[in-house]
Amino acid sequence: MQALLALSRLIDRMNEHIGRAVYWLVLAAVLLSAGNAIVRKIFSVSSNAYLEAQWYLFSAVFLLCAGYTLLRNEHVRIDILVGKLSAKAQAWVDIFGTVLFLLPMATLIMWLSWSYFVRAYTQNEISGSAGGLTIWPARLLLPVGFALLVLQGISELVKRVAFVTGRGPDPIVRHDPAEAERALAEEIRKIAEGKA
Amino acid sequence: MDFIAQNMAPIMFVGLVVFLLLGYPVAFALAANGIFFGLLGIHLGLLQPSLFQALPERLWGVMSNDTLLAVPFFTFMGLILERSGMAEDLLDTIGQLFGPVRGGLAFAVIFVGALLAATTGVVAASVISMGLISLPIMLRYGYDRRFATGVIAASGTLAQIIPPSLVLIIMADQLGRSVGDMYAGAFIPGIALAGLYAVYAGAVALFKPQWSPALPLEARRLREPGGSSGTPSVFVVVVLATIAAVLFDRFYYVPHYPDAALDERLVLAAGAGGGFALASAIVNKVFRLGLLSRLAEQVVFVLIPPLALIFLVLGTIFLGWATPTEGGAMGATGALVMALARGRLSMRLTRQAMDTTAKLSTFVVFILVGARVFSLSFYGVNGHVWVEHLLTNLPGGQLGFLIVVNILVFLLAFFLDFFELSFIVVPLIGPVADKLGIDLIWFGVLLGVNMQTSFMHPPFGFALFYLRSVAPTHEYVDKLTGNRMAPVTTGQIYWGAIPFVIIQVLMVGLLIAFPQMSLVYKSDQPTIDIDKVKIEIPADEPARAGEQEDLMKQLGQPQGAPGKPAEEPKKSPEEEQQDDLMKQLQKK
Repeated sequence: MQALLALSRLIDRMNEHIGRAVYWLVLAAVLLSAGNAIVRKIFSVSSNAYLEAQWYLFSAVFLLCAGYTLLRNEHVRIDILVGKLSAKAQAWVDIFGTVLFLLPMATLIMWLSWSYFVRAYTQNEISGSAGGLTIWPARLLLPVGFALLVLQGISELVKRVAFVTGRGPDPIVRHDPAEAERALAEEIRKIAEGKA
Repeated sequence: MDFIAQNMAPIMFVGLVVFLLLGYPVAFALAANGIFFGLLGIHLGLLQPSLFQALPERLWGVMSNDTLLAVPFFTFMGLILERSGMAEDLLDTIGQLFGPVRGGLAFAVIFVGALLAATTGVVAASVISMGLISLPIMLRYGYDRRFATGVIAASGTLAQIIPPSLVLIIMADQLGRSVGDMYAGAFIPGIALAGLYAVYAGAVALFKPQWSPALPLEARRLREPGGSSGTPSVFVVVVLATIAAVLFDRFYYVPHYPDAALDERLVLAAGAGGGFALASAIVNKVFRLGLLSRLAEQVVFVLIPPLALIFLVLGTIFLGWATPTEGGAMGATGALVMALARGRLSMRLTRQAMDTTAKLSTFVVFILVGARVFSLSFYGVNGHVWVEHLLTNLPGGQLGFLIVVNILVFLLAFFLDFFELSFIVVPLIGPVADKLGIDLIWFGVLLGVNMQTSFMHPPFGFALFYLRSVAPTHEYVDKLTGNRMAPVTTGQIYWGAIPFVIIQVLMVGLLIAFPQMSLVYKSDQPTIDIDKVKIEIPADEPARAGEQEDLMKQLGQPQGAPGKPAEEPKKSPEEEQQDDLMKQLQKK
């Protein structure tokens, strides 16, 4: 168990770092998209490469952050029923869901998309549109993203098993969404007071 | 086994409900449901063993769908904007402008809510700002607590329906229509809705004057040194700016560009009017002319940033300079620049905004990924045919369908948020609506107004939730008056929302009765700039076409569910979009 928990901590750290690095691509995509629109209007220059680069960037964000989002327990749930259960029972739901839902589906997609990537790579496919980008880097995001998701799934599983067997703390990050809002409110209040 | 094979689609649907209610993340439950029933279908011989080979292609379709970029762009813009202080300045000044009238603060909240709604596509920001700035003032001067909280929560949700709302973008994408048309179709209903809120606030001011008193004299800060209000000066500025706008249009723009489209003229004329107002306010301030009252000057200055943002986002879309996605990016850049100029943009804030944006867009896109895995199997077992049979056999044709679907969505909105509704429910009912001859823009706007209630339903509505988090929970001493003030109870917030939920239902009814409100989009069809299509098609088509082919292969196999022979495959939203784009291309 200790070895598994160490592995889980390693995975958590990795996805945490990846998430924090990858979210910068949000800003990159915003600036690229706005820049492209402005340049196109003013100088009448544009290329499909810019348009494709935007969704390459965004695909990198949501695929590479899939594990990070799971780590932060931010994938939405319909918890009207489960929310009322005890922490232990919720951990059991997650164990059940991870083993039966998440791991099989993510593994299947990872496996299928790997050959999908290999095909694009070996044939060096280029997007069909004029000035299009090479396809394989974007295709590679699929298996990598789902692999990160599988790893995070394993880590979450380990943490929950440790919890229900009494060998670890309650791992479920409980969001009090009101908390984030209160933090924001505090900030706005400070700004407002600073001005007054 | 035979029973299962015969009723695969309904069983799969019930399975979905069970999977979702387990409380495991929606995206994974959806995808697992698709894979589980896909395997079962293959086992029973209903589906081709190669079914899942189409999965990577489907996911590629999600990746290359650049409409989805609007999700991170608008979210990021909203997050930056809510900390930029723009909303606070607006509420403060507009409150001063309308405050002296009975019910004035409520009107100010509705007006600012609509204005913020037109700058951004997300709800949270405006509710929190209004809860922080306007609510304490309303309470201080004796507004009814239910009325005050209700009007704030409801005005905040206007962001859902007034363009550039994220709901409308997603809806357009899922129904396979152009985002520009969806915006045009939502414009009048959005304004009408804000109007209905104002009518309600007016009725309250008229019949329950004690609920919404006027601001007393000492609370009006922006008075002239002589003590007069300065309001007439505001009217003068508005009238002059309007005249400037009309003159610009008549004597400059139309003579120079005689074939300019109406929305193009509107956008530019509004720009000219705004520019005139700004210029006069600046000249007045710099040279201390004293021609404008302090109030008028202040109103002009606070209105400029939101109007500039509206121009950046909506203006550039309607002028055909930017696609709706790029409009979002322009808005986000504009918000960044504005926050920077106001000295509010810190590294911490930027990182926070990117972090939240990344996580939110990940879970949103993953719901779509899950939905695509689900629909691969569900369409494979002719689930769409089953849903269609179910819904086309309703009594009352179009009207019956609309009523049933709206009641269904209204009820589902208690439990599901709009992303879940749009990715799971809309693709199922959209094609049926199309088949019944219902205009999909009208239908989308209708659903948008309906889903707006999901933010206001007690007890789960998010707008109520945001408001609860900023409304006072304990007795407090008002800083200005020194009076002890009672806290705002959760019950008051819930009760306050109910009149507005009713208004919302009323609006759905009105929109069903008067589809013209949305159908105006057709009148300016040619003005939707083909620019967007011209650029998007080459990037988009191969992927989608490939995906389509794969799907067709799956559906085309003579393996339809027994009793339901493989009929002509129903048009999926993507195909529709395909057709739509093709039509637009051909028009060119």
